[in-house]
Amino acid sequence: MIRRTGYHVAMGLISFLWVAPILWVIVISFRSFDDVAANGLGSLPHSFTFSTYKSAWEDADEFRALINSLLVTIPAVLLSLGLASVAAYGLARYSIPLRRTILLLMLMGNLLPPQILLIPISRFVELIGYYDTLIALIAVHVGFGLGFYTFVLHGFMRDLPREIQEAATIDGAGPGKIYSAVILPLTRPALAALGALSFTWIFNDLLWSITVIRSGEKMPVTPALLGLQGLFVSSWNVIAAGTVIAAVPTVAVFLRFQKHFVGGLAIGAVK
Amino acid sequence: MTGLAVPRSDRRTFLKGLGLLGAATLVPGCATSSKSPGSGSAPSGQLALQSNLSSEQAKAAMEKLVAAYNKTGGSQVKLNTVASEIFRTQLPTYLTSANPPDVYTWYAGSVADSYAKKDLLLDVSSVWDSMGNYSKAMQTLSTSSAGQKIFVPTSYYWWGMFYRKSNFAKWGVTPPKTWAEFVAVCKTIQSKGIPPIGIGLGDTPWVASAWFDYLNIRINGAPFHRQLLAGQGNFTDPKVKAVFTKWREVLPYFDPKGKSFPFQEATSALLAGKTGMFLIGTFFADSAPKDALDDIDFFQFPIIDPAVPVAEEAPTDGYFASKKVQDVDGVKKFLTWLATAEAQEIYVQNSSGTVIPANPDGKSADTPLVQKGKAMIEGAAEITQFFNRDSSDALQPTADAALTKFLDKPDQIDKILKDWQAAAEKVFKA
Repeated sequence: MIRRTGYHVAMGLISFLWVAPILWVIVISFRSFDDVAANGLGSLPHSFTFSTYKSAWEDADEFRALINSLLVTIPAVLLSLGLASVAAYGLARYSIPLRRTILLLMLMGNLLPPQILLIPISRFVELIGYYDTLIALIAVHVGFGLGFYTFVLHGFMRDLPREIQEAATIDGAGPGKIYSAVILPLTRPALAALGALSFTWIFNDLLWSITVIRSGEKMPVTPALLGLQGLFVSSWNVIAAGTVIAAVPTVAVFLRFQKHFVGGLAIGAVK
Repeated sequence: MTGLAVPRSDRRTFLKGLGLLGAATLVPGCATSSKSPGSGSAPSGQLALQSNLSSEQAKAAMEKLVAAYNKTGGSQVKLNTVASEIFRTQLPTYLTSANPPDVYTWYAGSVADSYAKKDLLLDVSSVWDSMGNYSKAMQTLSTSSAGQKIFVPTSYYWWGMFYRKSNFAKWGVTPPKTWAEFVAVCKTIQSKGIPPIGIGLGDTPWVASAWFDYLNIRINGAPFHRQLLAGQGNFTDPKVKAVFTKWREVLPYFDPKGKSFPFQEATSALLAGKTGMFLIGTFFADSAPKDALDDIDFFQFPIIDPAVPVAEEAPTDGYFASKKVQDVDGVKKFLTWLATAEAQEIYVQNSSGTVIPANPDGKSADTPLVQKGKAMIEGAAEITQFFNRDSSDALQPTADAALTKFLDKPDQIDKILKDWQAAAEKVFKA
């Protein structure tokens, strides 16, 4: 009993430690600029205002930035998962020559630090005429995600029983039909987990958006938040409000797919 | 049972919704992007202005400025504001891209010249034909090492020792003029239990460079300072050591907390009366609550050697253009307009108002503070800008490292200066 209480107290404290910075941001987001400027960021709030949310939403154009983010994130997630599932299906269910090598080759791209590819990608995107477009950003995200998603889905599909596929083949289903009617529905838990994870990754990306996008009005929400910082002086309260707004979509996706997040972590753990 | 079934169908509709949204967004995404692949410089009659003035007020002022120009006819200017941090890191990419934006906000002096050396900037000498009234210092700052005018200055600001008038009155001190008076003021403020000199170096270590700049131009003069920063001097020079010896005299008066927070927090500390004074540029006023602004005043960095001609730091901002612009006449016309007193007044009136128009005929904000700052700069025999602007963004980190170390371990000056020289040599050779 004592051990149990001790455990709960300790865990409670640790979770508070984790949540504290978030709470702090939320508190700052409701303080007025003059309050922050006069009392400092660390002090207890002396004011309460919603105007920070208004200025983040209107003056900083966060609405448009969020739309841009969704315009990039949703197609990128769908495309990369779609392509990755087809690739994984082929590699996992058919004896394609060199399939191990292909898979490792795809995964190898993920081992490279993305920073060394910044300049080549920015130059290449410019060369093909898609610099400063959301299409370029989607393509980059799909390209970078593909290797890892294929690897995870491959592991999952490989473990599906052979008999199901054989039964489908006997019933006259071709590879396409087996993929869409048998394998894909069975892979749904893995797809949901990966979808939730990749949504967060792509939505929270900053590096690629500032590499391939130049116009302020095409920037997704992460660089838009950076834009709230001035050259010298930043309105931290507005930035905090903007951050809270920007977190809403990812939190919504997380809450909706919570159990798949946990499921996703365990994919391939038990054979 | 239903408890299980409902969320399932819920998730399906959610997924379907996402799918539909995704499919729908893909289509307009294609349509808008195919219209303008790389909207840098649209061909006919449109100029792209890439701006790093992303803070709320400055951005609004830029929008008004561009709107005013677009009413004058001629090429239409499209303002594109990106976060200053993104702008700083991406500027080389912008300038070297195949289809770069036309005009950029940037800083005068060697930081502009470094791009001119790579032959990326448009020669705007003809724009300067209409700028005969600009000061000699502005002309020098806008000229590349190859002798071409590559920059159009539009505003500058100043650095000073800022303090709250009410606090100085409370502590019974008056603004000092000489070093001895300054040290006396520090002593008095410290005797009241307040750290006399505020500073904010966490995240913003470059703020310390203001102290180095000012001590150097007060002790050794502006020409020596410029040569040193251009790589023609040596940081192990005894004259440089003299700067640090002087600095050590006031080191005990620095706010010990200043190393941990950025300058914006240091501003709060100054305004709250937790520090006495703060050597900072006028931009800090943007982070002050409105009701405190009237109580803020500044004094000139104290004179150390009366024989040295007085120099002041006045960082100059303005515009340059890419060498690859398509509509050269349109760009030059826009730059010529930006150089007019009228255009600069539009910006000053709509921004925070602590910058001064570069055009001598332009009216600055009519506050006593700005008038005093303007008079100080106009009375200076020499003008420097700031450490990085007089050297390069690559040299700044070497200064940050050396100065931060000095503040921690002032007794190791010799070793610190030797390390600084070694680091600087690497930068100059690169």
